[in-house]
Amino acid sequence: MSCGTVCDIRELTLHDGPGLRTTVFLKGCPLRCSWCHNPEAQCSEPQTIEAAGQRRTVGTRYESAALAALLNRQAPVLREVGGVTFSGGEPLLQAEFLCEVIERLPGLHIVLDTSGYAETAAIDRVAAKCNLVYYDLKLIDPAMHRRYTGCDNALILANLQHLSEMGIPFVVRVPLVPGVTDTGQNLAAIARTVRGLPGLLRVDLLPYNRAAGGKYPSLGMSFAPGFDESAVVHIETRPFVEAHIDVHVAGAAGDGTHTDSPDGG
Amino acid sequence: MKSDRLAAIRRRIAEGGYRRNRTTAVPHLLPELEAGNLSWPRRASRLIRRMCEAERPVIEPDERIVFARTVPSVPPIFSQPDWKRLTAGHTLHELGPISNICADWGMVLSQGLAGRRRVATETLREMAGDGEAVEFLEGAIETIDAVLDLAARYREAAERMGAHEVAGILARVPAQPAETLHEALQALRILHAVVWMGGHYHVGLGRFDQYLGPYLAADLAAGRLTVDTAEELVAEFFLSLNKDSDLYPGVQQGDNGQSLMLGGVRPDGSEGVNELTHIALRAALWTNLIDPKINLRITPETDLSLLTLASQLTRKGLGFPQYSNDAVVVPALVRHGYSLEDARNYTVAACWEFIIPGKGMEVVNIGAVSFPAAVDAAIREGLAAGDGFAGILRRTAADIREQVSVAVKSYARLLLPPAPYYSVVMDGCLERGRDLSAGLRYNNFGIHGAASSNAADALAAVERLVFKESPVAPAELIAALDADFEGHAALRQRLLVEAPKAGNDPEADQLLATLFGYFAEACEVIPDNGRGGRIRPGTGSAMYYVWLARGAPGDAAPPIGATADGRKKGDSFSANLAPSPNVQMRGPISVLQAFSGIDYKRVCNGGPITMEISDAAFSDQEALGKCAVLVRTFARLGCQQLQLNALNADKLRDAKVHPERHRNLIVRVWGWSGYFCELAPEYQDHVIQRYQHAL
Repeated sequence: MSCGTVCDIRELTLHDGPGLRTTVFLKGCPLRCSWCHNPEAQCSEPQTIEAAGQRRTVGTRYESAALAALLNRQAPVLREVGGVTFSGGEPLLQAEFLCEVIERLPGLHIVLDTSGYAETAAIDRVAAKCNLVYYDLKLIDPAMHRRYTGCDNALILANLQHLSEMGIPFVVRVPLVPGVTDTGQNLAAIARTVRGLPGLLRVDLLPYNRAAGGKYPSLGMSFAPGFDESAVVHIETRPFVEAHIDVHVAGAAGDGTHTDSPDGG
Repeated sequence: MKSDRLAAIRRRIAEGGYRRNRTTAVPHLLPELEAGNLSWPRRASRLIRRMCEAERPVIEPDERIVFARTVPSVPPIFSQPDWKRLTAGHTLHELGPISNICADWGMVLSQGLAGRRRVATETLREMAGDGEAVEFLEGAIETIDAVLDLAARYREAAERMGAHEVAGILARVPAQPAETLHEALQALRILHAVVWMGGHYHVGLGRFDQYLGPYLAADLAAGRLTVDTAEELVAEFFLSLNKDSDLYPGVQQGDNGQSLMLGGVRPDGSEGVNELTHIALRAALWTNLIDPKINLRITPETDLSLLTLASQLTRKGLGFPQYSNDAVVVPALVRHGYSLEDARNYTVAACWEFIIPGKGMEVVNIGAVSFPAAVDAAIREGLAAGDGFAGILRRTAADIREQVSVAVKSYARLLLPPAPYYSVVMDGCLERGRDLSAGLRYNNFGIHGAASSNAADALAAVERLVFKESPVAPAELIAALDADFEGHAALRQRLLVEAPKAGNDPEADQLLATLFGYFAEACEVIPDNGRGGRIRPGTGSAMYYVWLARGAPGDAAPPIGATADGRKKGDSFSANLAPSPNVQMRGPISVLQAFSGIDYKRVCNGGPITMEISDAAFSDQEALGKCAVLVRTFARLGCQQLQLNALNADKLRDAKVHPERHRNLIVRVWGWSGYFCELAPEYQDHVIQRYQHAL
């Protein structure tokens, strides 16, 4: 049985999938997005953080069965009204562990929230066990992607194709970072990339919020976003609407409906 | 619905406009009462009469529901020496006058005060030879006549100023049975306010949608009202409850017990949710003031659209509605001796205690058991005696039993003053010729079970760290507690981090349920509370979570020091049912599951699971829907009562200054969550600023 490192477990995460969800944030991420709002999830090892005069350790090691047992305590609730989301960090960095956990969660609606920057085999193995995938697309231009995340996006785009061919429903999530990802050019490119992909449910636009850097000091890190944080986020849905892609903006007024049962599963 | 007229009334209330009408001349009753050598019951009814006479009508031209108090305080009816003599050897509950119960408003509205007067005169004739009955009934009639006179003066004033609609309504009510919603609301406004004028407080409004629903239905059927005009009337009534609320005593401003209940089943078990349930929720949403405090009875099957509407109200950040779960409360009340019909008709007292309108002379907040004190004593004595963990549990149970027993003995001295006018609006007093203070159908006492999570965590810490894992020496633990953990930081860290915590870990959840089991047992062995009632254990804490930690006002020292859960001396305990304040939680599902383990059939005095949720959690319709599902989950898990608090900018500001009070405050930012207290100050400011503009 394998072990994994969990950054945090949070219940009633509102934007991590349908219904009431408990989200497991796994620790460790290959990307270094300059706007990263979960810096404590970057490093794969447990870390001590200090804030407001109190120290605590971020990062708990779990055997897969132990994590599954903890989640299964909520199964009677979550089976009925929601499910479990695995996020991060990049959960696919711990694919083996993740597979073992999910296999022990029978009947639960599972969402994988991934950057797509992972071995294709990992996507294959984990996504196949999920009901829904949240797939991040940040920048289509390879040079820009390298500049702002430290990684090439070829693997991410190839994995998106692969995911689409697997027949697992997915939602594409685009963080709108001012002057970086929110440009008309980038959004149009994303729309072109995802249009017509089988399995695409919709695109979620997540406007950047300035509180992103708030956690850095407590980790002894400094926040250097590399863009103008104070710039107004450019929220443009047109490229998606024109491509007949369902598009949502996070935090915007809803349509008066709500989900009573998990969708996408 | 937001008519300009209502907005103007709301503004007037917010700006204190009604206070300008107040007089400084409070009636001076003592000379009259002493010259007549009047008995206590006759003094109580004379007080109502003189207070009503002293009121000057206040009618604003834009009002359709009138009445505002002009006499700001209630004078004494005994001189200090007489009062001392009268109450020597007794204890009074809080301020003295009967409080924290609920009238049968539906009965009074349907009979009218003239109808109540006929009942009183009839009984007076039948019981002419019974001196106590004669004295009570004559006093009750005096109060009825005083209220009718007051209403008549309001009617005359309305006529004089050309407010014909108001005058017309006051020509009928509160004397005659109400026939329309408008009449019922106007009558209720006066009948309710007069109770306060007698010195009573925490005067509840009961099952508002149940007793007023039929008037609304008749008006809608006859075309006298539309849903919109009805909503405007209800909103005006809600506004009117805020005209005098600064005069009402409580621990803090707003702690005035103007609570009302919505939803639930009818006494026959059929569905009680009606058009007025929705109208009242929407009216409260618009009113957005702290009165009335809305409660909503739900079941595991309650419609999600109703829960979503209620969640919108939660989003306002006022701390209501408070939910109670009929599927749990009704059977528990039946088990405690309430008839099924009465149990189905429950409402709440000022805060959360379940009571039956019109039928209870219960003192549901008479005291509290200190779980941390019981556990602390058990740990110290048990470890000193070389007990195992089971021995510590036995000592805990014995301490709780002793606390209840001592408290109940002290309650035998309870003195309830006569309440002639309050008796008019209760069931059976006029009919039996006996004052409310002599007792009603239900005469139970309720005791809070305070700071349960800290106590459960302390037990769990001892079980795990002293008896199971890499043991901590008992002497070291005791030394650390005595030193308030000075010089024992490493041990404190282990207690805080390694030990199981209620709300996160089943071991601690189980111990919490065990504590309430001991509490229930301690109450169940007491056959009679001295007034023909029982002792009901509850899960609320009221203000004891602070008082037990820091001392009640007037205490020289806190009653308890550092505790084995790692809590330092002086730090607050958990309030009501909530995890210990310094415990970092996974979230609301774990919390609901933790508190679903309590046997609520045996623990039925009420006391909500209290959860704070960032108001960003209510950002859009989908999030509101999730909140509604969370409330339904509360009911489906078999929990009893729930209070959800949406956080607002004020709380965030406080968190910035006092992070230790808000460890669990979570802010949602762009698809992610962070602990507010771990954000750098400038980011905290940013979040605060954003939240100020939240929906």
